[in-house]
Amino acid sequence: MKVLIIEDEAELAKSMAEYLSAEGYICEQAHGFNAAIEKIGVYDYDCILLDIMLPDGSGLQLLDELRQQNKQDGVIIISAKDALDDKIKGLKMGADDYLAKPFHLSELTARIFSVIRRKQFSNANTISLQELQIDLLAKSVRVNDTVVPLTKKEFDLLIYFIGNRNRVISKSTLAEHLSGDFADMLDNHDFVYAHVKNLKKKLHEAGCGHYLKTLYGSGYKWTDPA
Amino acid sequence: MKNLLNKTTRPFLAFVLVVLLISVPVYYFVIEKIWVVELDEHNQLAAQHTAEEFNKQNLSGLDLAEKITFWNQIQPGIFIRKLAPGEKVEHRIFTADRSFDFVPRQSSDNFRVLIAPIQLNGEPYYFRSITSFEDSRETVLAIAAITFFFFIIILAGILLINRALSKSIWQPFKNTLAKLKAFQLNKQATISFEQTDITEFNELHAALRSLIDSNIAAYQTQKEFTENASHELQTPLAIIKNKLDILFQQGDLSEKQYQLAEEMNMALLRSTRINRNLVLLAKIDNQQYQQADQINLGDLLQQSINALEEHFDQKQLRLQKTETAPITLTGNSILIELLLNNLLLNAIRHSPAGGRVSFSLTHQQLTVSNTGEAALKEELLFKRFSRLSPNGAGSGLGLYIISEIAKFHHWESGYHFNQGEHHFFVRF
Repeated sequence: MKVLIIEDEAELAKSMAEYLSAEGYICEQAHGFNAAIEKIGVYDYDCILLDIMLPDGSGLQLLDELRQQNKQDGVIIISAKDALDDKIKGLKMGADDYLAKPFHLSELTARIFSVIRRKQFSNANTISLQELQIDLLAKSVRVNDTVVPLTKKEFDLLIYFIGNRNRVISKSTLAEHLSGDFADMLDNHDFVYAHVKNLKKKLHEAGCGHYLKTLYGSGYKWTDPA
Repeated sequence: MKNLLNKTTRPFLAFVLVVLLISVPVYYFVIEKIWVVELDEHNQLAAQHTAEEFNKQNLSGLDLAEKITFWNQIQPGIFIRKLAPGEKVEHRIFTADRSFDFVPRQSSDNFRVLIAPIQLNGEPYYFRSITSFEDSRETVLAIAAITFFFFIIILAGILLINRALSKSIWQPFKNTLAKLKAFQLNKQATISFEQTDITEFNELHAALRSLIDSNIAAYQTQKEFTENASHELQTPLAIIKNKLDILFQQGDLSEKQYQLAEEMNMALLRSTRINRNLVLLAKIDNQQYQQADQINLGDLLQQSINALEEHFDQKQLRLQKTETAPITLTGNSILIELLLNNLLLNAIRHSPAGGRVSFSLTHQQLTVSNTGEAALKEELLFKRFSRLSPNGAGSGLGLYIISEIAKFHHWESGYHFNQGEHHFFVRF
């Protein structure tokens, strides 16, 4: 899976590349508009991470370029501008998702995972992972043909974990993912624990292995069996 | 409080009053003087005429004595008698009152008296003429009455003129005042004052214009600074966040190190939120939000309650919602949703476990109430970064954002404490 990171902030691009590479993605970086245009013209990517504010041009213009070249690359806009109109404009122009800075790399990974899945398996979008079968469109989960009745949040968490396999995800990161903007306004993040506990319990009861592990007391990790 | 014209009028009126009061004795003395001169002249003429007329008659001595007696009887003011041999009469003019024996007893007036020698038929006679003149008390009263009458006319005149002046001359001032009252610094619109033909007003306008311009400039600079600072902070915050995510993946992380990183993560979450809120406030300030959405507030509130349901459950808060009628508002849906979320989160955070949170929605207002112990200081509550609760979480901007969003929509937000409950309301 190839990912192009278009980001002028070298340090950010480096972190993204490092995290995504460990996830098995092949990452390329472009630190400016022109470098990005060159790469887009030559290669196809499974997903492009696009910073809208570039020193030598606008990310939205790049989006336009992609559309004109009829490219099918998935695009996730990354913007420091936490502006809704940018988001709407970007999505209208063909971007698949939008992420406001600052964001967690696990969040980014989960989004990339979803975008790529959506792009590549537009009809029967089912993930098979060991004894798990996840239908992304119907949002249903089966373990060896047993339906696991997950709530919306539990399903969301499962996808997040699977998108971030073998990665340690801290409780506060999950709290942020689940409650959006206002995680910090909550006195504690115990609700994360409750959701994860339920998810684990339901999966296990349906006969799924213990892939989701608790680490360091409050961190979580979905581990593939060796 | 007096208005300016009344204030300047008062000393004027006092001055007029004093002058008029002084004029009363002055008038009195002048009039009396004139009186005296006139009466003396009259008495003098009476003496002359009397002598002339008697001499013209060519009366014999006896006849003359008879006529004089008769004359004295019918002319009470004039008395003539023949002088005894060797008696001398000096020409005298003076004022006499009742203490003089020749003054009529029943009279209360003063008299001007002329005593003079006259020659009748070549013989010396004693001539006395007395003419009453007006009692001084009556004169003073009359003058005082007239003065008072004029004072009233002046008073009425000044008040009427003032009223007319305040309508015309002060009109530009009133217009300016109205504009200043309507002025809002964050609207960034300068005021244009009208041109007047009054120097003072033009100077005032010039001074105000420069004051407002420099204020707007200072406000602009400050706002830009906040905006730029918030934007500039986003990138380093993003870098720290990502580095922490990578740190979590280091296999040899000890539990202690993990906990440290997690605590950093949480502090970072808070600074991110403060930063986002500052950007949001700058945008509200810049009027970057449209107010064209039609919002069913009841539905939106229910959505927010649903989204936060688990957090209500976690604290075992009892929810109670009363909605008297469906209410639709025009505003910005993003901001209104934010306002609702902030109100709800505020209630969740500050309710004791097992407490009660209630929502009441009427046509005029939305009230979110939660169990509490003691009243909070309202004046601090809606201020930036004034945290009243001991627990350190939160950006310190939640309620401030509520009040700013309310202000943006021209609504009123407020707080009161009643029967063990905090009530936060937004009045539409």
